Amino acid sequence: MHPRTVRRPVSRSQQAESPTSRRHRPDYWLVMLCAAMVGVGLIVVYSISPALSAASGVSNSHYITKQLIAIGFAFMAFVATSQIPLPVWRKFVKPMLAFAALATVVALIMPVNPDYPAHRWVRLGSFSFQSVEFVKFALLFALAGFLAARAKANKLDDFKSTLRPLIIALVVVGLFIAGPQSIRAQSDLGSMGVMIAMFGTMCFVAGVNMKRLVLIGGLIAILAALVILPSAYRRDRVATFLHPAANCQDSGYQACQALIAVGSGGLSGLGLGKSVQAYGYLPQAANDSIFAIYAEKFGFIGTVALLALLLTFFARMKSIVERAPDDFSRLLVSGVLAWLSVQSLINIGAMIGVLPLKGITLPFISYGGTSIVFVTAAVGLVFQVSRYTVHTVPRVSNESVGKKGKSYDDSRDRRRLRGAYHPDLGSRL
Amino acid sequence: MALPNINSAVTGVKRVRIWYGFVVVVMLIFGVRLFYVQVIRYDYYKTAALSDQLKQYEVPARRGVIKAHDGDGLLPLVLNQKLYTLYADPTYVKNNQNVALKLSAIIGVDANKLQGQLATKDTRYVILAKKLTPEQNTKILALKFPGIGSSAIDYRTYPQGSLAGQLLGFVDADGGGQYGVEQSLNTQLKGKSGLLKAITDASGVPLAASSGNIQTPPQNGKDVVLTVDLAMQQQLETILAKGVTDTKATGGSAVILDTSNGAVKAMANYPSYDPGNYATVENPSTFQNAAVSYPIEIGSIMKSLTTAAAIDQGVIKPNTSYYDPSFFMVDSFRISNIEEDGGAGQRTIADILNLSLNTGATWELMQMGGGEINLKARTAWNTYLTKHYLFGQPTGIEQGYEAAGYIPGPKENGAGIDLTYANTAFGQAMTATPIQFAGALSAMINGGTYYQPHLVESMINGTQTVMAAPKILATNVVSAGTSQAMIPLMQNVVQKHNFNVRFDQTKYTVGGKTGTAQIAKPGGGYEDNEFNGTYAGFVGGDKPQYVIVVFVDKPKVSNGAYAGTAAAQPIFGDLAHMLINDSYVSPKSR
Repeated sequence: MHPRTVRRPVSRSQQAESPTSRRHRPDYWLVMLCAAMVGVGLIVVYSISPALSAASGVSNSHYITKQLIAIGFAFMAFVATSQIPLPVWRKFVKPMLAFAALATVVALIMPVNPDYPAHRWVRLGSFSFQSVEFVKFALLFALAGFLAARAKANKLDDFKSTLRPLIIALVVVGLFIAGPQSIRAQSDLGSMGVMIAMFGTMCFVAGVNMKRLVLIGGLIAILAALVILPSAYRRDRVATFLHPAANCQDSGYQACQALIAVGSGGLSGLGLGKSVQAYGYLPQAANDSIFAIYAEKFGFIGTVALLALLLTFFARMKSIVERAPDDFSRLLVSGVLAWLSVQSLINIGAMIGVLPLKGITLPFISYGGTSIVFVTAAVGLVFQVSRYTVHTVPRVSNESVGKKGKSYDDSRDRRRLRGAYHPDLGSRL
Repeated sequence: MALPNINSAVTGVKRVRIWYGFVVVVMLIFGVRLFYVQVIRYDYYKTAALSDQLKQYEVPARRGVIKAHDGDGLLPLVLNQKLYTLYADPTYVKNNQNVALKLSAIIGVDANKLQGQLATKDTRYVILAKKLTPEQNTKILALKFPGIGSSAIDYRTYPQGSLAGQLLGFVDADGGGQYGVEQSLNTQLKGKSGLLKAITDASGVPLAASSGNIQTPPQNGKDVVLTVDLAMQQQLETILAKGVTDTKATGGSAVILDTSNGAVKAMANYPSYDPGNYATVENPSTFQNAAVSYPIEIGSIMKSLTTAAAIDQGVIKPNTSYYDPSFFMVDSFRISNIEEDGGAGQRTIADILNLSLNTGATWELMQMGGGEINLKARTAWNTYLTKHYLFGQPTGIEQGYEAAGYIPGPKENGAGIDLTYANTAFGQAMTATPIQFAGALSAMINGGTYYQPHLVESMINGTQTVMAAPKILATNVVSAGTSQAMIPLMQNVVQKHNFNVRFDQTKYTVGGKTGTAQIAKPGGGYEDNEFNGTYAGFVGGDKPQYVIVVFVDKPKVSNGAYAGTAAAQPIFGDLAHMLINDSYVSPKSR
């Protein structure tokens, strides 16, 4: 297939399954929104740098320098994921999965930093990253490829060949990522939640039968309860979530201080350089709790603006999903959408006291190299897909097109309408 | 199904819209929640934030330093030094063993002990060490261990060591002045602490960025300049210590007072203590400056004042002679002299002082009553004691715990009052402190002006120096003529007594009076074998410049010797020679 030389209309089937739609102008809004959020994060991290460096005893420019370096890496990752064609990436799904597995195992084996006693980090000298971000990234490709193939084979709802492997994969991942620290797993429920959302959303968008999805969702809920209940610190977190004020001095300290930061921001905020909670009151001020610091600085006006920014960003992704040239890229983008949106919701929800605390970052905005590099890389994939989106959104199922009583208005194939177009009467024939 | 992929595309579009709708709904809920938290409940969270963030601090005022004269300049006697208390919040301390080892290397406390303290789980404040130097503190803070902090506390330091320790007093752990100048001038030295209300970080350090900090600056304490001459003080302490230990006395006090203004140039007791190590003092009475706080029956040095009072009243003349019967019966009690003074015979006023005749002092008191001890005599003498010489009341010198001493009233004590008064004429049956006697003698010898004995020359409030004008407590204590007449009478005493090195009265004016005081027993009567030795005198050129008063408690003197002559007089002699040799007094101009 040589789309540049053979100029002929692309058939519907080809259009739907292969990334051979015409390359066009990508969605630059995606990049601008992404850059805007990275910028917001950078400003917040910069403005609380004095507090952060005072607490950890490093130079004033330490945090901002590290973040700028991370943004540099993030830019390179973005270039890689947006320029290396998706088919190439797809070829490396297995090596990627293998690497993610290896990184996870290394993180579990490595001695832990006493400051963060979870087996979540891979450390190579001064360079370190969270293995779970690799897992998310590799799973994204693996799932999109798998689901696209099952859909093509029309076996999406086949339990044996589709759902069972998915459930097994989810259980294996869950064992390592969400398993308790007592079995030397990462005990990272936040990331597990994000991955479950990715699994679920991708299956959902792929078209897996709703009843089955609900059934599996119920099973996961039961499993989650079984995982949460034996772990004392998770029970604490749930109890804290239910009674935040009662636990302000111990287990609920961070939740309380986050709410105080958000609430004391008021309508218009204390101002950029005026955050007090960053000075030792709110733990993880630059990472997991950055939304609360942002809310303290910029107030209700600022938080609503940030939510709007996120929603606009997700809306761009949604419209790319709608116009995706094929199943694989559609699933890939919906996976990214699920990842970023759920991670944002879990993070913000915890800061405003509507969800229990999870140790995950706010995409783009939180300080932290691994988060920003992988989140930006994911956006790079979406950006690449946006080059190949089709012009219109498919709205009506194929069977109904041309059937009695159905208009062609909603049909995807406009050529028929064009053929019937009358200069005086328009399309209303 | 021919074209399943279109199907899946349409389903995908539908479902991704459902997903996006879900995200929008959750975001809307978040928006509502944010409106509730940030707008509706703003006041609640603002209050909660301030209750954590807004802290009120006392900003300590700097305690005034104390200086004293050294030649033409001033030297500090008491300074402040910031020393640091090292504490830990065990809940934040990580890697106890490493922290304990590193701290141990700096502060020299056993690492195991530190590790034990760091492992304490039921407290959030453990004091690891006190009085760390700024260097140690800087080293520790440079380690940046979480949960380890220090706080600066001003401690008093004493560049001159224990010099003038009892004069100075000390500052206790709560910042209160105890004893001496520190107690007496506590308010002025302490100043007034300021107040700081500020938004702080979690560890309590005020944030510079936060506005609305309220601050009342502290008013630092005033610096005090003492009248004391450090070199003279040093000599006095050495001489006194030697004198007391030579005679195996239980203690002693000495005062040098400037007759022209009442300024104390040197004052000390033995034994004393080092205020820098006040906590190691076992006997709290050592804290007392006995020269102002320990009144005793002063003995025969009183005869100088009795004689002056009698001359001043005109009832005797300096050159009067009288017949001494060698004893008087007063209230059927026999007042007699010591055996060496011989029997009855004609005596002069000079003899009364030189030979220390009890009968002579009693005779002088009788002259005040027209020839006998009666109410007139008692009232006249009591007026001199309390209104002229100001005994029986504190002088008001800037020292803690000054004692008033005791003078019996002229109508007290019923039948025995005449005997009591006869005793007061030679310094028994009354009590006074060395500083009281120095003040009175100074007034008697300087022409009759009683200057308040004082230690503070000036106070410095920031850049403003306020001189303390000498305060006159009484004038015409005795007439100028009486004063003039008393000088040679007391010089005569010095001349007639043995000093290791004699005084050249042609160049200097040196006069004195010994005293050997009986010690009252708690149950009444006097001790048989224990006496206090006292000496009071003056040194000067054209006129007396300094008054010296020496008290020695219970010296062990050889048989037949008298405590005043054997124990107190040599100390006076050494002090007087010191004043002459070190040019504190200027020789006679003619």
